[in-house]
Amino acid sequence: MKFFKSEKKQGYTIIIGCGRLGANLANTLSDIGEDIIIVDINKSSFRKLSPSFGGMTILGDASEVSVLIDAEIEKAAAVISVTNNDNTNIMIAQIAKEFFNVPHVIARLYDPEKECVYKEFGIETICPAVLSLKEIDKLLSLGQTETEEDDKAE
Amino acid sequence: MKTRILLIGGFNKTKSLASSLIKKAYHVTVINGDIEKCHILAEIEKLDVFHGDGTKPFVLEQASAGSAGIAIALTESDADNLVICELCKKKFNVGKTIAIVSDPRKTEFFYRMGIDAVVCAITSIAGIIEQQVLIEAMENAIPARGGQVQLKYISISGTAPAAGKKLAEINIPKNAVVGCVLRGEESIIPRGNTQILAGDTLIVITTGEHEMSVVKTLTGQ
Repeated sequence: MKFFKSEKKQGYTIIIGCGRLGANLANTLSDIGEDIIIVDINKSSFRKLSPSFGGMTILGDASEVSVLIDAEIEKAAAVISVTNNDNTNIMIAQIAKEFFNVPHVIARLYDPEKECVYKEFGIETICPAVLSLKEIDKLLSLGQTETEEDDKAE
Repeated sequence: MKTRILLIGGFNKTKSLASSLIKKAYHVTVINGDIEKCHILAEIEKLDVFHGDGTKPFVLEQASAGSAGIAIALTESDADNLVICELCKKKFNVGKTIAIVSDPRKTEFFYRMGIDAVVCAITSIAGIIEQQVLIEAMENAIPARGGQVQLKYISISGTAPAAGKKLAEINIPKNAVVGCVLRGEESIIPRGNTQILAGDTLIVITTGEHEMSVVKTLTGQ
């Protein structure tokens, strides 16, 4: 995982949504010394952050421009939008890219059908379904070759 | 064939918009995610109703968004409206997309994302209220300047002599001018050929002593 081991970058990372993925990402990046701001609409979501988390938390609805400005989005090096709503992630990613010229924007999209529309915006998208598909496919083909080899061995 | 219009999300707004568009002989299709609301919407005659999440490409496909000329996104979520319009534009080549937005700061951003018309309910309503406040302020403020100039706000009823006439046909006293006609949400700067209709409100500028004769000429009272 090159991403996590990289040298400390200029600027900081804003993570939108403190769910399982958001909180884990924040903990991991914070541990390697990145500056993190994490935004969530629910205060209780921040309990998922580890005690050693050294970043900032902002309570608010990140789909409102004012909240993004509070997070000083215009100075951010990266914005990662991982709320549980695809459309919110798309909108935040587009605002970050088009309005605030954030260099690195990543959005999580559950629906692979929408992915194609947003690739052209220069927004990097992660689709759990597609990733899982590839992984399962890999495991299956691995299992198959193993059994085939087993068959041959017998 | 008349343009096909797609309305996505919303309920009360959608209901009245759909009815009025159907009256104007458009083909209207509604997509709503709530099955109960779909049943109520389906009671409107000649309205096609689809149940589903309008932000999903396959739902738009089912509602044959590709053949629509105009798509209007009326959901409560700004993000949903943005995605609906972008999908309609990019994936289904809908000619014109319109979105409502609740956060006024996003209006410019929505336009920049290629949406053809963005309506911000909050700024629109605030604007109308502000207009009302300003008119009253004018009515009160200008006469205070020496009391010479009056700015009158005159409503035209159906029985008023001015109703139905063109401005040039009304014998308005020399010391008065009709500055503006307020009709519904429109404000018209009138010319001689502007017709005054019942229900209009006229903003009339006049000098103090002629006020009563102006009111009489226009309203008959």
